Amino acid sequence: MSVKTKILIAGVGGQGIVYLTNILVEAAMISDISVSVSEIHGLSQRGGVVTAGIGLGENCSGFMKNAGVDFLIGLEPLETQRCLNYLHKNSCVVFGNYKMLPYSVNAGTSVYPDIVKLMEFLKSQCRKVVFVENFPESIDAVNYNLYLLGKMAVLPDFPLSANIIERAIENIVEGKNKEKSLRIFKMGLLEETTI
Amino acid sequence: MLKRTKNIITSREEPYKTCVMGNEGIVRAAVESGVNGVFSYPGTPSTEISEIFNHIYNFQHNSENEKLYPQLSFNKIYFEYSINEKIAMEKAIAFSIGNKSAMCVMKNVGMNVASDPLMSVTYQTIGGPLVIIVCDDPGCHSSSNEQDSRFWGPMASVPVFNPSTPQESYTMVKQAFGLSDLIKLPVIVRTTTRVSHTRGLVNYGRINNRVNDAIFERLPEHINIPARTATAHSKLINKLNSNASKELFKQNIRLLNKGKSNRNCIITSGVSTTYTIEITENYDLQHLVDIIEIGMIYPFPEKEIIELLENNYDKILVLEELEPFVENHIRNICQRNNLNIEIFGKGYSSLVTTGEFSLEIIREVIEKFTESNFKKQDNIPLDNFENYLNQLPPRPPALCAGCPHRATFYLLKLAIPREQNELIMCGDIGCFGLGALPPLKMIDTINHMGMSISMAQGLYESFHSSEKDRKVVALLGDGTFFHSGLSSLVNAVYTRANILVIIFDNRTIGMTGHQDHPGASHLPKYKEIEIPPVLKGLGIEVVETINPFSIRDSFYKVEKAMAHKGVSVIVSKAPCIFLPEYVTQSKHKTIIKVDHSKCNTCANHLDEELACSRCYAPKNNLSRAKSKLMAENNISGEAQLCPANICNHGFFNSILEGSYKEAVEIVRDKMLFARTCGDVCHRPCELFSDKNNFIPIKLLKKTVSAIDNNFYDFSAPIQRVKNAERKNKKVAVIGAGPAGLSAAYDLVQQGYEITVFDKEDKPGGMITFAIPSFRMDKNGFEFEAMQLKEMGVEFVFNTTIGKDISFDKIKNNFDSIIVATGLQKSKQLDLIEKNIKPENKSDAITFLKSFNQNKSLFKNNSNVLIIGGGNSAIDAARAAKKLSQQNHVTVSCIESEEKMPAFKDEIIHAKNEGIDFINGSFVNKISEMQNGKIAVELNDFENKSKKMYSLECDYVITAIGQVGDNALNMDNKNVYDENGRINNFENKLEIDKVFVAGDVCAGNNMSLIGAIASGKKAAIQVRKFLENYKYDYEGDFALKRLNDTQIPHYRTNNFDIDKKELEKYDLFQSCQKCNHCIDNFGCPAMVKVNGKVQIDMSRCTLCGLCIDVCPNNAISWATVEEETIN
Repeated sequence: MSVKTKILIAGVGGQGIVYLTNILVEAAMISDISVSVSEIHGLSQRGGVVTAGIGLGENCSGFMKNAGVDFLIGLEPLETQRCLNYLHKNSCVVFGNYKMLPYSVNAGTSVYPDIVKLMEFLKSQCRKVVFVENFPESIDAVNYNLYLLGKMAVLPDFPLSANIIERAIENIVEGKNKEKSLRIFKMGLLEETTI
Repeated sequence: MLKRTKNIITSREEPYKTCVMGNEGIVRAAVESGVNGVFSYPGTPSTEISEIFNHIYNFQHNSENEKLYPQLSFNKIYFEYSINEKIAMEKAIAFSIGNKSAMCVMKNVGMNVASDPLMSVTYQTIGGPLVIIVCDDPGCHSSSNEQDSRFWGPMASVPVFNPSTPQESYTMVKQAFGLSDLIKLPVIVRTTTRVSHTRGLVNYGRINNRVNDAIFERLPEHINIPARTATAHSKLINKLNSNASKELFKQNIRLLNKGKSNRNCIITSGVSTTYTIEITENYDLQHLVDIIEIGMIYPFPEKEIIELLENNYDKILVLEELEPFVENHIRNICQRNNLNIEIFGKGYSSLVTTGEFSLEIIREVIEKFTESNFKKQDNIPLDNFENYLNQLPPRPPALCAGCPHRATFYLLKLAIPREQNELIMCGDIGCFGLGALPPLKMIDTINHMGMSISMAQGLYESFHSSEKDRKVVALLGDGTFFHSGLSSLVNAVYTRANILVIIFDNRTIGMTGHQDHPGASHLPKYKEIEIPPVLKGLGIEVVETINPFSIRDSFYKVEKAMAHKGVSVIVSKAPCIFLPEYVTQSKHKTIIKVDHSKCNTCANHLDEELACSRCYAPKNNLSRAKSKLMAENNISGEAQLCPANICNHGFFNSILEGSYKEAVEIVRDKMLFARTCGDVCHRPCELFSDKNNFIPIKLLKKTVSAIDNNFYDFSAPIQRVKNAERKNKKVAVIGAGPAGLSAAYDLVQQGYEITVFDKEDKPGGMITFAIPSFRMDKNGFEFEAMQLKEMGVEFVFNTTIGKDISFDKIKNNFDSIIVATGLQKSKQLDLIEKNIKPENKSDAITFLKSFNQNKSLFKNNSNVLIIGGGNSAIDAARAAKKLSQQNHVTVSCIESEEKMPAFKDEIIHAKNEGIDFINGSFVNKISEMQNGKIAVELNDFENKSKKMYSLECDYVITAIGQVGDNALNMDNKNVYDENGRINNFENKLEIDKVFVAGDVCAGNNMSLIGAIASGKKAAIQVRKFLENYKYDYEGDFALKRLNDTQIPHYRTNNFDIDKKELEKYDLFQSCQKCNHCIDNFGCPAMVKVNGKVQIDMSRCTLCGLCIDVCPNNAISWATVEEETIN
């Protein structure tokens, strides 16, 4: 495959970023697409920033550069905003409205950014923006990742098809969570989300 | 995990393509190479390597797996987490000398610890192959420096491989095993974070299940003595440069993009190769530059490189992170081989020796090097995205919710507060190092691993040598204690250092993902070593083990350890939340909830605009939190309310914090008379509270306002007047007593124009004239009262309403009026009026007024009879005695001693001064005798006809109360009650815009604080009238209680103000200015939304400590059901 695609997943430690990465890697392997991943998680378990870059295609690394990301999945709005430099006018963004307040916001020394403004900014400049304002009540916060992945998978140009990702989930997830994970991923595929 | 473990030890006859992390590729390569033993100390970015070997060990040593998967368990790989890298290296060397294949794994700084054995073993020999994996961390993602481990190659004379991808890591580790086996030298494979933690495609192959038998050969090389080392060095160099090494050079030089006419070349090593390939491919530079990647960088493949460079290139760009290792070799060989090639490296474009490279940096450098313009090929970035990146809140890592380290730090904050002394706290490497960040900020130093105890003893010695003997605290984790803390502790004991060591024992090596260590082994292969017996064995006298979640129990142990002179150790033991042994404090279906009516709420007033001098500083709330947990008496703020609505809770806590100035300001937020109340208030806030359990607010008020610097600084209220919005309304206050002045004080701060009228020539009313000077500081009062002038209040003295100015005129000139004229007329007894001449009698107020002017109404050596049992009677009696010790003073009152309205303390004073009391008596007969004396016959008040006492006196003072004197000159008798007080306590006066305060107001308690409170209440009534102010008087509850309830007078105050004594008390109330949990605790499950703390149950681990931490008692357990109902 000659097309090169860079996908970035951004969020906070504990949100399942590595887990999403595993699924996408498996999906790429199934599709016989060359894949490479770079994760940066200084102290992920301790609530720090986590980003994972996935490069699809020959000699396309998981490292990111400015205006180099084609698809961004934001599991947390502030961390989505922190990645704006990586986006370009042809990028697609899927992000959810699940805020995790950093300490400085709690302490009142800094202000959490305005999500509506962020959404409008992205909408006016990116090719496609999907903002999940309210997650379905039946989904726990730990599973928002799969729901957002579903939203990403239905975007027309996303290089890994929903069917393949379903197979990847089947391969990756073990035990009783398998069915649940598939169900949540499919919910993301089906439900209409307005922006 | 099982699947992954099985996969990694399954041999593949055909190449098996998989996508794995660089670290996992390294493991696979070692397994394929037939490694027999792996020795490691965990450290990021190398951690996963040892973790996977740990899984393999556990898999292969599981008897069920042996049956299920005999092939996978056939060649058992020994693995251990050694206590530190030096031991790991030594044991790996020895394992290899025993003819086994060994690997030793560590992070960059681990090599420093492990270098000692490495530097000498190269002069000797090994047995089986020995491969050392060192993972560097450019950019310091998780390390204390970014040292370049490639230099261990020339330093120790060992070969070094430097892979750029997971696949290369895999290949080079396999080559390293082969090479080490051939040349009998350890071989280093060095990666960086971006290689170790990148996932890419790797092809797995066959596993070599070679079984080496353990053999020990008695070789002379095993004995390292100086006689042999000189020759050994040259042998070492020969081994290093042997043909075996040279054969690998070619395999590890990659030539890419080879264009026919390329005159430019990029030489790369490590992850820079990946960046370079991606950039050159993205921008179609294949026809412009060649790329040479060098994978084996020591010994340097000089001959092979020269061959590639010679006659081919004009310009070379060397791309490598950190030091110019490859670059210097290239420059060296070009110079020695007379190659005329221009070389670009460190210092060119944005190539520096610090930090990581990135696609951006490499893009920029290559753009310049190839004289290209990449811009037109780039994607278009979002317009003005920079605006959205500015000032984004950072998200530093924090200790987890429920982390025992946070509990320990919080305990330390309470037990050894840092504000009060110059305590130095020396931290160490590990999760708990996050305690250096806000909000904990309990660490002053963090150095390399294991330094804490040495730092503490060294600093102690440094201060000790300047004769400043202070205890220094060392903090370290349990893993670090065994890694290298123990030997330092031995030194501290040995040298008699005065240090406190706190071991954060969370039962694991937390930072790197929960590995075992000697103090907490979870596997049968390890024997657990308990820390306290080790410490006691060293002769440390104070060794305390605490549970950091039990703050009350642990507090005194920490205090004791801190007080001990010498080495003392606290082992703070509670498991990391990720361990199975972590148990929540909760029962099934329990959650934690915050009662928002108590969180960040002011219990004192609804009107948040009202002045509050309580400080927001984090440490202030710390003492509230401490007293909540540690005080013996927890008193609710509601029990000690002040009718003037002074925030007694804030006042007391300011004193606990040592902020006496703030305490005075808190009093002055609400009223003028800090010092006067400290002198003469009858302290309903204390007397109403529970019998033996109250805080001596009055005594504290006296103490803090006696500090002149604080007392005479009145700038804050004056500033409030300046800041107030001008209302342009005029209010007249008639009467400059405490009620009138208090009303004026509140209103002037709200921007009203105030004029105070009084018939006397100075302010104060009864305070000035009736309270004797020995009971209070008259100058202090005058200062306080006259501050109103500074605040802009106008005083009109010597003016009587109805005489000097008509009430109607005042009504016409002012928007509102407060009448606070007091009760000026003393009640009289007919019997005395008829029978005693004016020169032999007076009322108490007249007498006290002359006393305060240093005049006496009778001669010295008189017998004086006081009639009455209230405070004026006692004041008069004590004043009469003060005039002359020869005066004989008797008090007759109708009440028994217990029921006298006067303050108990005053009665005791009077008795001690020699004043006689005839309780339960009344004047039945009184007459003047021929000799000028007065004969008095006192009968029993209960049994009126029963004679009780006869006496002769010279002078009679009546003190039986005051009545009004028609202050407003009004004819309507309904306005007044039987004592001439105005009947409008609930403000039902017929005259519009006139309000009444103080003693003249019927029903109001006749006391200083009663007057102040009623003046404040009148001010609120004026505000409601003139500006539609919406709140009621917020001290009304306490004022009503004061008016409606008989105050118990039996209690005396024998409280010493001593810090230790005060710390036994806690006066708690919810406080608007509390941010304690956020400022001092910082649990990530606690989020503050709209000013209130919430618990994020998705992150909460139910440790329950926040319930103890909240000084407002706002947090509690709840069941899920309860919360749903709410």
